[in-house]
Amino acid sequence: MEAIIECRNLTHFYGKRLIYENLNFKVPEGRILGLLGKNGTGKTTTINILSGYLEPRKGECLIFGENIRSMNPATRARIGLLIEGHVQYQFMTIRQIERFYSAFYPQWRKDAYYELMAKLKVAPGQRIANMSCGQRSQVALGLILAQNPDLLVLDDFSLGLDPGYRRLFVEYLREYAKAEGKTVFLTSHIIQDMERLVDDCIIMDYGRILLQCPVAQILSNFRIYRCQTDEYRNGEALLQSLSQAGGGKLYHPSLIRQNLEFGSFLSDAEVGRILRQEQIGYSQLRSERVGLEDAFLSMTGKY
Amino acid sequence: MFKAVFFKEWLKTRWCLSAAFVLCSGFSIYIASRVMKAIELQGAGHIWEVTVSRDALFAEPITFVPLLIGLALGLFQYFPEMQRKCFKLTLHLPYPALRMTLVMLLYGLLGLSLCFVASLILLWIPLAQVFPSELSSRIVLSSLPWFAAGYAAYLFSAWITLEPTWKRRVFNMIVAAFCLKIFFMAPAPEAYNAFLPWLSLCVIALISLVWLSVLRFKAGKQD
Repeated sequence: MEAIIECRNLTHFYGKRLIYENLNFKVPEGRILGLLGKNGTGKTTTINILSGYLEPRKGECLIFGENIRSMNPATRARIGLLIEGHVQYQFMTIRQIERFYSAFYPQWRKDAYYELMAKLKVAPGQRIANMSCGQRSQVALGLILAQNPDLLVLDDFSLGLDPGYRRLFVEYLREYAKAEGKTVFLTSHIIQDMERLVDDCIIMDYGRILLQCPVAQILSNFRIYRCQTDEYRNGEALLQSLSQAGGGKLYHPSLIRQNLEFGSFLSDAEVGRILRQEQIGYSQLRSERVGLEDAFLSMTGKY
Repeated sequence: MFKAVFFKEWLKTRWCLSAAFVLCSGFSIYIASRVMKAIELQGAGHIWEVTVSRDALFAEPITFVPLLIGLALGLFQYFPEMQRKCFKLTLHLPYPALRMTLVMLLYGLLGLSLCFVASLILLWIPLAQVFPSELSSRIVLSSLPWFAAGYAAYLFSAWITLEPTWKRRVFNMIVAAFCLKIFFMAPAPEAYNAFLPWLSLCVIALISLVWLSVLRFKAGKQD
């Protein structure tokens, strides 16, 4: 499958603070990819670099094979951009904003926009500044649908939306992207939404990519392991040895009294073997499959 | 696309431009009526004499009006772009960034020209009725640097507003304040006549400063 987005050796600093170094990833055509990470791991930085509003200290980002910093306007017309908080021109009305954008896109689909606007209980002459965040999100989505881009870049699309609008946005977007074979690259703080929406995810930790794989693979293979241990009095040493055990495949072990918990893609048998190898006394080892949010928290830690 | 950009700019600035037009025209009408009234009371001969011997211009009330209008128009046009970084949407449009910037500036400069030309015509026509052409031209020529200051103020305002960092914005404000002072340094009539073409070229060159702010915005400069 052709890569629509390709980031090579991205390195960025804010002042002297390293955000990440030599970050590499590709987004294949027709996939919905979600970028997950805790605050400060560089999600918005990545979106800003991708949309051409931040020059990385090193590396380059190609979209449709063109460097985003010197992209041809015709190629840019193939990218739909949603800015954090569903920002749109506040001084325009529903009608004016449609009229404005339609001049720039020859393939503009006016009907798709007004079909969605008809579902909003707002007058066509109402200014965007006077709309709720949910209504604004629908206007932003409507504009993207009318633009009909091949790639959608959405920065924190769930910000400020109530559960109803979030669900509506996710369902509408997924249906649209799948029906029309669009590629989507997005970030969100609400991981339950990501689970419903994305095909693949990139999980970012501070300064690096922790994992890039299909969400289905995480949901079917990732497990949270819990067991009891009698070595809890030497907790710090135990957690350290577990973190390093198995080549770092046991994620963020935590210990509360005698209860040991960690996440892993390994099977029960492999985890049991590692615990024995590390000579950790344990009992009642059990595992359970979890949703994307728990898997994410287990991989990146709660703090 | 050109029309669409003008449409967007008009939506942002229609109230400001309308007010600027009324203000500019109002000041010109006020100055002209003041001259007419003085002539009616003291006679044309006396007013001519005052104009020639005491360097009276009568146009002083309008001195800072173009400057204020330039600043306000820049703010009205570019502040909404910087609100929640809306300017990203503008630069994301399939239109070259430099051309987009130039079209936006062209809109502002044409808007200002509309106000300023109307103001100058409203000033010059009544004055030409009562003064010899040398005197009415003198008044209009002497007021041209103030109108040039209006254009400069607009471009400085765009430069400052589109600048993405506060530190640099404050620096830009200081530079702009010093530069704008140049337009008001010589109060004598027609003092700027020889310098005016150079001053106009300097004003045109200010466009490059606005582009500099756009480039800094695109590079993601932060405080």
